[in-house]
Amino acid sequence: MMQQKSFIRTLVLLTVLGLALSMAPKADSLPTGINGFSEKGCTCHGAVPDPGVTPSIEGLPANFNASTTYTLTISFTGGPSGTSAAPENLGGFNLAVDSGTLANIGEDVQIWGSNEAGHTELGNDQTSWNVDWTSPASGSATFTLATNSVNGDGGASPDDKWNMMSMTVQGPSAGAAAEELQSADPFVVLITLIIVSGILLASVILYTFYRVSPDGFNWDSFSPWIVEWLTSTDHKKVGTLYFIAGFFFLGVGGVMALLIRIQLAVPGNDFLTQDQYNSFFTMHGTTMIFLAAMPLINGFANWLIPLQIGAHDLALPRINAMSFWLQPFAALLIFTGVFSGQAADVGWTGYAPYIVSETAHTGTTLWAAGQIMLVASSTLTGINFLATICGMRAPGMGWMQMPLFTWSIFIANLMLFLSIPAWGVGLIQVYLDRTIGTAFYHVASGGDPLLWSHLFWYFGHPEVYVVILPAFGVISEVLATSARRSVFGYRSMVYAMAGIGIVAFIVYGHHMFTSGMSPTLRFVTMLTTMLVAVPTGIKIFNWLKTMHRGSLVYRTHTLWALGFLVTFTLGGISGMFFPSLAMDTHLHETYFVVAHFHYVFVGGTVFGVFCGIYYWFPKMSGRMMDEKLGLLHFLTGFISFNGIFWPMHKLGVLGMARRHHTWFITTDDFANIPAEMASWNLFITVSAFLFFFSNFIMVANMIKTVVAGEKAPADPWGGWSFEWMCSSPPPTPSFDPHNPPVLRDANEHIASEPTRFGQWFESLMMPEDDEKEVSH
Amino acid sequence: MSGDYGHDDHGHHASPWGPHDWSHGAPHNSFAPLIMSAGFALFLYGFANVFVGGEVADLGALSGVMLGLIIVTIGLLVWWRQDMTFDGVYEPKATGAPFRNIDIRKVSMWIFLMSEMMVFTSLFSTYIRYRLGIPNCNDVFLSGEWIEGTSVVCFEPAAHLIASSWFHLAPGAVNTFALIISSFTVVLALKTAKMSDKKYSDKYEVEMENVQAHRSRKVAVFLGATLFLATLFLTLKMIEWFVGFPTPGPLTNLNHGHSEIASLYTEGYRINADTYQHYAYDTSYHDGKDIPPDSALYSMMQAGTHPGGVMMADIRVGASTFFVTTGTHGVHVLAGMIGLAYMTLKGLRGGWGPSNAVTIEYFGLYWHFVDLVWVLVFPFFYLF
Repeated sequence: MMQQKSFIRTLVLLTVLGLALSMAPKADSLPTGINGFSEKGCTCHGAVPDPGVTPSIEGLPANFNASTTYTLTISFTGGPSGTSAAPENLGGFNLAVDSGTLANIGEDVQIWGSNEAGHTELGNDQTSWNVDWTSPASGSATFTLATNSVNGDGGASPDDKWNMMSMTVQGPSAGAAAEELQSADPFVVLITLIIVSGILLASVILYTFYRVSPDGFNWDSFSPWIVEWLTSTDHKKVGTLYFIAGFFFLGVGGVMALLIRIQLAVPGNDFLTQDQYNSFFTMHGTTMIFLAAMPLINGFANWLIPLQIGAHDLALPRINAMSFWLQPFAALLIFTGVFSGQAADVGWTGYAPYIVSETAHTGTTLWAAGQIMLVASSTLTGINFLATICGMRAPGMGWMQMPLFTWSIFIANLMLFLSIPAWGVGLIQVYLDRTIGTAFYHVASGGDPLLWSHLFWYFGHPEVYVVILPAFGVISEVLATSARRSVFGYRSMVYAMAGIGIVAFIVYGHHMFTSGMSPTLRFVTMLTTMLVAVPTGIKIFNWLKTMHRGSLVYRTHTLWALGFLVTFTLGGISGMFFPSLAMDTHLHETYFVVAHFHYVFVGGTVFGVFCGIYYWFPKMSGRMMDEKLGLLHFLTGFISFNGIFWPMHKLGVLGMARRHHTWFITTDDFANIPAEMASWNLFITVSAFLFFFSNFIMVANMIKTVVAGEKAPADPWGGWSFEWMCSSPPPTPSFDPHNPPVLRDANEHIASEPTRFGQWFESLMMPEDDEKEVSH
Repeated sequence: MSGDYGHDDHGHHASPWGPHDWSHGAPHNSFAPLIMSAGFALFLYGFANVFVGGEVADLGALSGVMLGLIIVTIGLLVWWRQDMTFDGVYEPKATGAPFRNIDIRKVSMWIFLMSEMMVFTSLFSTYIRYRLGIPNCNDVFLSGEWIEGTSVVCFEPAAHLIASSWFHLAPGAVNTFALIISSFTVVLALKTAKMSDKKYSDKYEVEMENVQAHRSRKVAVFLGATLFLATLFLTLKMIEWFVGFPTPGPLTNLNHGHSEIASLYTEGYRINADTYQHYAYDTSYHDGKDIPPDSALYSMMQAGTHPGGVMMADIRVGASTFFVTTGTHGVHVLAGMIGLAYMTLKGLRGGWGPSNAVTIEYFGLYWHFVDLVWVLVFPFFYLF
């Protein structure tokens, strides 16, 4: 019976695999070969080539430079062309090249694919044509040209003659090995890295399984183990999966950042082509925000919310698993374009109308599709966490007894939940524009690009608070515990976060100051944006005040929290330059913006995540992390991070434009970039490498901890929220669902009863007839 | 990580495909999320390969679309199979104020409806932006600022076609009542399911031991009626969009003598209509009697400065807004139908009773919401 069942399963699996394989070639659109043209030749005028016709290509150098555009002149001599009186139907041509890209200049030439060109109806009346050819980064290029000499009668007649020629041009001299490496296709580099990472991931899974059960290293015990991970609805397992996905994509996004930095290390660099550069900064932004930061935050939220509020699990465990599993498949869609060399190149903001234009890379469609799945995932997450925090707090835990991390997740999810549908609708519009051809953002039909900006930033600005608020929560927990006292001004902390949550919805216009939005709206959003500094300032003040009369213990998580205070405050101060309209107009398109949002994203969110990892890892794994490695990670990471982004402020103020493929040292009046910029850019690139590799210290630390760390007690740091009450690691279910913990205050009373408003609200929520008719 | 409390539902390794054991609290492991996510991704991937830039690029990729839908269905069936045995004995209750003793599912459903509200708010924002921001086709026509043969960009509300005759309006009007009645049948289903054994037995004169099966079947009838009305809704929508319908013989007079009501599609109201032409924008229609004398076009034609003719319009934005907004609503109806199919099936299997009747209530919340959205969509897109 079992045999039969597994046979059927195998059959179904093989069928699905077969179907997938049959579809796979469609995913691969790397241009290869030239339609078999060079073998067949042109037979439209006469069956055999005639030596009387001499085709020629002019304008090709002996050795082409990498990624340079040459204008080629194609012509021929001889044959019956010109024998007729009327100057029409004189000739035609077909040109194919095995590398590089062809583009037409005038209406007389048409392009098929990117590597084959021919004359049009209009070009029929000529004997020479011009076509642009952009050379590849390396290698050689072989041109195959066929020309027809036609006698002018308009039809195929035996008089017509044709001939073909072929010539090969060598690329940049392939000398030293280092140069070869530099000219490798960055997409190939990225694909290789992703595949290698995938293999590494599989090996890590296998090794982890081996560590879990060294005696039962076989399929019979592996399959239930892996099935448990694939199907689990336990909030701790799903949280761990979020962490794995988040760290994986943090690495992928980091690699892309490194490639961008290599490109920008020296002036006039062409390590990445302009197209590739656009794709890389798009994918870097998308990956870091949606596939790294959000999953990492969700990892913490999944792990800690039920533990902190005394619930046995989340409100909707299966919906929670669904939120997670949407993400890897969304990531596959988003990265589909990378594998076909046509990754989205629209920026993470995906501004219209470029996003719906045909010139945008084809990967953009699936980029939007993947984002739609992420929107679905975030919506489900939102329902889940809001329902959990509203409904599953332990008896006695009123709203004002909730730990600040729970508060931060509550407000972040409320913001995300109410804003992301706008972006989801915008993405669906873009997806339909790009597929079935609706016209929401086609300017020629009256579509409005500003509408996209509004829908995007209505979500996009709350989104940046969505990723920073949980970091606030982490820092509040960590600083209070490390200072060995309760957090200063708990209520003001809560109101500050709620204030940020409300203001978030009315400030988004500051992203659109330079977009031609109405001056009234610009003025309003200028004022509201400046207002954001107030609640944020309150939080910073409270953190400082928490440490002031506390007695700080300098563990690794404390160091990261202190680092966060420095970097986040700096990011906040640089952020205050942008709401000012006049200042923003000057700085909007410069590296000052890049410096600002990396100071808050990396110095805020990522530092918060690191801080949380060092703080809660003993709870999650049941083992203590190595403090010495942690200190090393903090020192290298903190210093190299500032090394990357601090000089960018200077670059921005001096006028280095962001989103640009490369930069030049120039004394041009309008684009004056002084020579010292060259050394700063190189310095930034070196720092970027240091920062990237410094984070492997933490990965090594985590592995070392899981393998050989000393056992952690239930409460290693002296925290007093509910999660420190359970064992490390916590049991499953986290608390007894039939006997939940009760929060009592110092006098052993139940800490909280609903206020009069709360009681009134409760009376509204519970209709009487339910009580009478339905009894459980 | 084994359980300490004796209620560990993860320890006994129930099949991730099979029905839940509800006595253990939270649902146990399930393959459904993984399968449905994969199917969803494959669907979006296939769809983007079939259609590119408004044209059918690769019909072969339709296999991907179908396979995606099949995989989503398989995931859904796994999900249903696990839930079919839910009898309401384990209904998680909220413990936190001010939601104490309320079902967690109810809290979740209301929260979910908040985001649904934002979805339709965004669609209506798009509509308002374009409706107010792009000149109306009728206004452009009457202003005379067009010339025959050159396309002008303008906003053509679908209501202009639909509200032009009672027959065009008929599918939408019937749909409105179908949805309102379907909200009522859901409530009837809930009321029946909630009836206690004794009350039901007295009212319908059923033996006490047969009450559960009898009542559940009755619930299934009401849910089936809801399902039927929802199906009617989508069918009429397809007729209105793509098919059209003949006018019954005696009524052709009322329909200006036409024997057929054309669908929006055959009227040329399409998302790719950049050369839209309609008799309403033809100066020779009714010999020009339809042109109001106080319009600029009328005076221009009298003065001989406008040659008249047929106005050609680019109405893609208006058509996109109409089809995507009403289409999104239609997808919500479809989602409701999938839920109704499951609930009807469960009713026929004798699954509904007072202990789990609230499931119907929570579905009803969603269904009333979809109804309410239609009550907004109908005037904005069909009447004005």
